[in-house]
Amino acid sequence: MRSVVLAQLRTHAARLIASTLAVVIAVGFVVATLVLNETSRSTVLDTVGARYVHAAAVVTSEGGSLADDVADLEALSSVGVVAPAYEAGVSAEVPGRPGSQYLSVQSVADAPQLRWEQLSSGRLPREVGEVAVTDRARAEVGDVLTVSAYDADGEATTSQATVTGIVDLRGDPQAGLFARGFVTEAQARDWGAGFPAELRIAAGPGFGADEVLRDVTAAVPGDAVVRTGEAQAERAAAALMGNTTALASVLLVFGTIAVVVAGLVIANTFAVLLAQRTRELALLRCVGATPRQVRRSVLGEALATGLVASALGVAAGIGLAALISAVAGSNSAIPLSGVAVPLSAVGAGMLVGTVVTVLAALAPARAATRVAPLAALRPVDPAPLRSRPGVLRLVLGLLLAVPGTALMGGGAAMPDVRVALPGGVLSFLGIVLLAQRAVPPVVAAVGRLAGRLGGVPARLAAGNATRNPRRTAATATALLIGVTLTSAFVVGAASTRATATAGLAAEFPTDVVVEGFAGELPGSLENTLARTDGVARSAPVLAGTVAGPDGDLVGAFGVDRAEAAATLRSTEDLVLPGPGQVSVPEWLADPWAVRDGDRLTLGGDPDREVPARQFTVRVVDADNPLLLDATELRALAPDASLGQVWLRLADDDPARQLDVLDRITDVVAEASPDTQVTGLIAQRAEIDEILDVLLLVVTGLLGVAVVIALIGVGNTLALSVVERRQENGLLRALGLTRGQLRGLLAWEAMLVAGVASALGVVVGGSYGLIGAASVLGQVGDLVLDVPWLQVAAIVVVATVAGLLASVLPARRAARTAPVAAIAAA
Amino acid sequence: MSVPVMTVPGELRTGETTAAVRAAGLRKTYGTGETAVHALAGVDVTFAAGEFTAIMGPSGSGKSTLMHCLAGLDTATAGEVWLGDTPLTSLRDDQLTVLRRRRIGFVFQSFNLLPVLDARENIVLPLQLGGLRPDPAWFDAVIARLGLRERLGHRPHELSGGQQQRVAIARALLPRPDVVFADEPTGNLDSRSGAEVLGLLRSSVKETGQTVVMVTHDPSAAAYADRVVLLAGGRLAGDLADPTAESVLDALRGLGA
Repeated sequence: MRSVVLAQLRTHAARLIASTLAVVIAVGFVVATLVLNETSRSTVLDTVGARYVHAAAVVTSEGGSLADDVADLEALSSVGVVAPAYEAGVSAEVPGRPGSQYLSVQSVADAPQLRWEQLSSGRLPREVGEVAVTDRARAEVGDVLTVSAYDADGEATTSQATVTGIVDLRGDPQAGLFARGFVTEAQARDWGAGFPAELRIAAGPGFGADEVLRDVTAAVPGDAVVRTGEAQAERAAAALMGNTTALASVLLVFGTIAVVVAGLVIANTFAVLLAQRTRELALLRCVGATPRQVRRSVLGEALATGLVASALGVAAGIGLAALISAVAGSNSAIPLSGVAVPLSAVGAGMLVGTVVTVLAALAPARAATRVAPLAALRPVDPAPLRSRPGVLRLVLGLLLAVPGTALMGGGAAMPDVRVALPGGVLSFLGIVLLAQRAVPPVVAAVGRLAGRLGGVPARLAAGNATRNPRRTAATATALLIGVTLTSAFVVGAASTRATATAGLAAEFPTDVVVEGFAGELPGSLENTLARTDGVARSAPVLAGTVAGPDGDLVGAFGVDRAEAAATLRSTEDLVLPGPGQVSVPEWLADPWAVRDGDRLTLGGDPDREVPARQFTVRVVDADNPLLLDATELRALAPDASLGQVWLRLADDDPARQLDVLDRITDVVAEASPDTQVTGLIAQRAEIDEILDVLLLVVTGLLGVAVVIALIGVGNTLALSVVERRQENGLLRALGLTRGQLRGLLAWEAMLVAGVASALGVVVGGSYGLIGAASVLGQVGDLVLDVPWLQVAAIVVVATVAGLLASVLPARRAARTAPVAAIAAA
Repeated sequence: MSVPVMTVPGELRTGETTAAVRAAGLRKTYGTGETAVHALAGVDVTFAAGEFTAIMGPSGSGKSTLMHCLAGLDTATAGEVWLGDTPLTSLRDDQLTVLRRRRIGFVFQSFNLLPVLDARENIVLPLQLGGLRPDPAWFDAVIARLGLRERLGHRPHELSGGQQQRVAIARALLPRPDVVFADEPTGNLDSRSGAEVLGLLRSSVKETGQTVVMVTHDPSAAAYADRVVLLAGGRLAGDLADPTAESVLDALRGLGA
């Protein structure tokens, strides 16, 4: 039988291309994920761990100072040198750059063997008054920095330091966060470093790390921890890698989805391949092959396909990882340099691809053994294949889907994601099983509609699409899974964004707040800001003090309600008072013992000679001072002046809002140096950006599943074309033009892809909404949002892609000579 | 290779009745050089309108190839085919397709019907492909003659072989084509159903003047025709008027078949 398997593979290699492609993509995806994870781990180890890897031992202490131990340790015979690490935080002014910046300072080891810093130019500092900095400081060698160091009481001392070199942190993911400075131990202590947090130890000549570790452990106090340099490097890397490991597991979830979809496509391909080969298999049985041998030959074919495809997939995955690593490089959020290929990734890829292929071929192989020897002698049966979807499948599907959906609904209502999530998984499995039964009738119904629109080719396509319900269902299910997950994510992310935006707007209702450090702003500033390009509305906020009911003076803001309201995104938390009203923050309402609707007397201050006034209280959940009507504040506090300016930015181009924020900062800095600009818009933009990137990445990942499924659509069609050669020939003989024949296949592809994606969007959209409800409902006020445009785009893209998938098979079908109908198979 | 006997040049017959289909110098060669096979080695033949003609010959004589070329299903290597006044060899594929749809009916040996369509849909398919509706009176007449009224809603796999062929004949007759080509229409049928199908073809010629050209290897089937054209080695090898099973058998023996 082996010769038969090999001959089959040689002859039908082309027909296996689709399954191979599906396996290659799925395996490639999994392998690329594993390789990228490993690459980023080793990159972090190289960069974050750089300072430790060359040390024989590292001593760290949670509590006390290690300074006293240095001398003791250096006295040990196995210890060469000890480098205590002093750390301090200072602010530094770089000549030619406005303002000062934070500089995280650490001491450089005296001993060359414990120096790990890589310099891109200059040299490391040798004495007090010298500093090497990272790129981020944007200083150049020779610059003299003005450094302000603060002692424990917050008293600043200012000194000068000359930049001697620029340190290159390579792929350190934290390199971009803030600037770092490298100085001598003495300088670090001068700048406020207290005691060394860790000691790095180099072995003495002739001693190994083990001996150093043993001796040092014995010598240091009990609360200090001693590790080898490598162990400490691993630890540092792991601390930073926590997030990326989580990311890798998320990626692997998507990898699993891709693998499942690929499995469906493969199972389908094999089923069709074997259906076509019925007579061949029967002939094998006629000449004496046992059912066992037939099954083995089919599985052997699957095994060979799986091995080849997995190997290609592993290669593709490594290539993809290398490409991503090269393109993203050290600029990405995940640190990457080069590629590190763990053997486990290669093994996992080969195993997953091969096992999935063989498993997918099991059912078709079993069907193949049921071929009767007589089938070889019968002419081809023109009757449509009738396959009954299994009752077991139906029952199991219902058993999973109904309670799963109920659980999910309960989880959304509670709301508790821990209830909704298992419900979602169960019901989705159920839906996948039920899809086998539900898809063909839906395709038939839609096909009847299409038949009215598209004429004869569409009607024929509708008939063709449902003549083998199991195959159509399997093809559609593969696409359904991909589309369901994609749309679930798109809808879920939209609701998350809507909820987050609403929450942010309530919490930070102003886009930009300008306020003075010292309190008073120049009166003309509001006008200047209002005229700044990109500012839509502005409102001045008066600041003054008024006497509370207890006679003490408290800060108060005064606004014109209409003017201020125009600048706010939400007045849910920040309630603007009208005349006769006051918004009292909770922190004042408690000591004053006032509640909503109470009357409150303010301003009965004997020193100021202003009459007291009565106000109606609104208690608000905000950090602001008292909030009054501007006119009334002026009456109560004649010395009130401009305290804040609230700005609302134009929405026409969200991308430009950050530029506008920069411009406002410049304008303000010029007008009044000790002024603070708080851009809540920046926070909002940041959250938006994170969601955008996340959405893009995940959509891209799920796109892989959709692509595999579409290969399945093309594959099913291609095999149908082979199968229906005679029939297509007959149609051509009877007057179906080539164009109409291509149309027929296009309709068939669009029907299957369209129905699958429409169902997927409906199911996935519901999942997205339920998921968002159960997750976000726990956090705060839920805002559900369906991005109709994106949802419609998913259906259109999947359907059009289905159409494209039909192009190649259709070309082949159109080449069928009409004579093929008569020249019987 | 036998010398053609009793050949009647096509041009002569054209004078007597209107020609429905005509071929001149028709050649069909597969392969090139040493291995070339001449399926048709220069055939001149005319089929009169309103006549039932059978094309006969031993296996490999080129009778099916001739029919495919006459019906615009296959392109000839050389020579010309006219359907009425329309020369077929100059037509593009789409033009040929539309011509087949409008002016030619087909009845094949097997796999005649589309499994996804019921009998009625199969019958009206060629008209619908051209966006036309059948003339209801003519549709009823054809259905009545073929006895298909009770079977219109059935799918092909629910019909017997004879019924399937009758549906195919109805489909061929419905557009009132210039000519109906039948390729071994009784090849897969038992003798009773076969006789029924042949009778129906014959009556369509007699009663409505339909032109029918049938390829067969069965002398008793050929006896239903008004005329038998014999083919051997890709050439015309004889022409019998008003054939009987015996005269056809004799003529075939004369070919050495």
